[in-house]
Amino acid sequence: MSEMKDMITEVVERMLKENVDKDLVDTVEQGDWAPALWELLEENGMTVVAVTEENGGAGGDIEDLLNIVRLTGKYAAPIPFIETTFANYLLEYLNLQVLEGLATYRLSTNQVFTLENGTLTGQAHHIPWARHVKHLVTLAYSTEGTHLVVIDLSQADIKQGTNLAGEPRDTVTFQQALVSQLSTVLSPDEIHKLTTLCTAFQLALMTGAIDKINDLTIQYTKEREQFGRPIHRFQLVQQHIVHLAGETAIALAAFNNVTEALLTNNENSEVAYARIRFEEIIQAVTAISHQVHAAIGTTHEHSLHQFTRRLWAWRDEGVDSSYWTNIVALQLMENSEDSLWAYLTTSTSSSPLLNVEG
Amino acid sequence: MLHLPTVQFTEEQEQFRVEVRAFLQDELAKGTFTPKCDSWLSGDDPEFSRLIGQQGWIGLTWPKKYGGQERSTIDRYILTEEFLAVGAPVAAHWFADRQTGPLLLRYGSEEQREFFLPQIVKGECYFGIGLSEPNSGSDLASVTTRAEKVEGGWIVNGQKIWTSNAHLCHYMVTLVRTSPFDGKNKHAGLSQLIIDLQAQGITIVPIKYLTGEHHYNEVFFDNVFVPDSMVVGEIGNGWAQGLAELAFERSGPERILSTFPLIDELIQELKRQNNSQGLMQASKIVARLWSLRNLSIGVAQLLESGNSEDVSIPAALVKALGTKFEQSIPEITRLIIQTYPSLDADRKIDRFMAQSILHAPGFTIRGGTSEVLYGVVAKGVVAQ
Repeated sequence: MSEMKDMITEVVERMLKENVDKDLVDTVEQGDWAPALWELLEENGMTVVAVTEENGGAGGDIEDLLNIVRLTGKYAAPIPFIETTFANYLLEYLNLQVLEGLATYRLSTNQVFTLENGTLTGQAHHIPWARHVKHLVTLAYSTEGTHLVVIDLSQADIKQGTNLAGEPRDTVTFQQALVSQLSTVLSPDEIHKLTTLCTAFQLALMTGAIDKINDLTIQYTKEREQFGRPIHRFQLVQQHIVHLAGETAIALAAFNNVTEALLTNNENSEVAYARIRFEEIIQAVTAISHQVHAAIGTTHEHSLHQFTRRLWAWRDEGVDSSYWTNIVALQLMENSEDSLWAYLTTSTSSSPLLNVEG
Repeated sequence: MLHLPTVQFTEEQEQFRVEVRAFLQDELAKGTFTPKCDSWLSGDDPEFSRLIGQQGWIGLTWPKKYGGQERSTIDRYILTEEFLAVGAPVAAHWFADRQTGPLLLRYGSEEQREFFLPQIVKGECYFGIGLSEPNSGSDLASVTTRAEKVEGGWIVNGQKIWTSNAHLCHYMVTLVRTSPFDGKNKHAGLSQLIIDLQAQGITIVPIKYLTGEHHYNEVFFDNVFVPDSMVVGEIGNGWAQGLAELAFERSGPERILSTFPLIDELIQELKRQNNSQGLMQASKIVARLWSLRNLSIGVAQLLESGNSEDVSIPAALVKALGTKFEQSIPEITRLIIQTYPSLDADRKIDRFMAQSILHAPGFTIRGGTSEVLYGVVAKGVVAQ
């Protein structure tokens, strides 16, 4: 574990707490974003954590970065943070060049982009932040196979769109546009490994929002009084509190275990289990938090929806949980252990699918 | 409080797991035991307990001078997981190992430790836990079994109920009232006594479980003499001592894995049938199990670092969530795969289904009902 982690998370949490409020998050829905917040994080080196120093980064490891991503989820920070940092993480992971400026990524294995003579053609929907950022890092398909490419978005035709939370999700069209970087052909194992990392980043973001929803809701049960007492005193409300706190504790522990597995290069199926479980968590925390907040939580004026809507949006973005359900089913089918228990607890039982070296 | 530590097992710990598993597989192959769901309540087999004792696997964390191995809480966690995952019959020594030992190490006298712990470690001395009474279930502070001071000891009168395996136990740690009930401080005046279940004046009456099996008992005390040397800790401190015990009781693997043999058999059956649709549904069970295990191991790690004050709320949470999970397993299983649950079935999955369905109602009751736990957790969360 990086010794920087506590320091970094403390610094970032303070920056976000002081600089992000409901109005700032609202600007995203109005088609704007928060460049000043980005600059603040950039000046402090937080946008290049986990990029090695030789590539112009701030050092630190994946745990540090995932924890910052978690915090950007917790404050719904209206900046392309996960997009830019994960794009760079991918590039460095594949020994490509880290980017200057803002970036976004697309890792879906739907083969929408074709690659020919160093140019890209095709159309993709729901690209986060495309209208605001410079680079797109995406999978693309040539006659040789699948590559990761970097392409300058100034060459794209961009049609603006939004997700359930009003975040920018644009349709991007390229016609024989020049790519600026190109990986070698990626093996299925490598693509799976990239997908695993991508899902881990999404889990971090979701964990932050879940944590925040829990905080908002518990706080509300202390402040809101009905029948002459705070509503947390009612047993039926207490049942909601326990369910919510339980799902939150599970999310936090799942995130920490995923992070640790990635950090120690020991990831077997932790990301898959967490992603599958997060479906239930998101369903529960969004429903409970709204029920406890009652009418006020359904208004635009209240900040609860900035987090519940994000969870409803994020769960359907990128690689969804059905991919992971399939993976786990496949692994269960193919594992050679005599029992499920041996499979779950033997550290060397990873499936060949997941054995890509980091 | 919702943030629990993560644990990466060391190589020695992984090795220990392999060692325990190999032993259990060996015994299984020899026919020493028949795997069961909920084996920590219903699998009582003194011979097996002695065998485990010979391995040094009872009192694993206790000091060597009492026969323990001075190993970590995490080692014990691993050991317990292996027993439960394979459905081994660990009920006979269960409470002595899980609760009585730690209680005596924390509050017992040197004489008590020297007398009881070495016998427990051998798998030859079993303890019951005497808490509930007919009118004191969840409201434990209202117990009325009373002990009156006499020369050299105490005279106990009253009744305990739901005492697991009292008919097989040698002793019972019994919560009694040693001074009259005080409405202003209802937790005061309670004490813990070790009562010899062979003593004069004790009657043990079976309460058959809904399957007809005998696990629970009523225990009656009619002028039972308990010597002063059998008082645990301090007179009047029974409530606080009992609470400390709960941290050990509440969040272990037995709150997640009571129906694990059924999950395992479900997966094996689906593999045999080449049923990938079924495995996709089962992957949700595996994901839930993994996510609960993270929490439960997190609490074990807190206990290991000696932080038992902060443990009680997450421990209660783990029990509430874990028991609900283990309870759900037969209900999910029967929607994935066709079974015919029956206790005397030839097919393993049918037996495990029957054991799970019939034992499931108890999971969320024993050791503190979910409703009581919910209250504890909600108050703890709100107080943050």
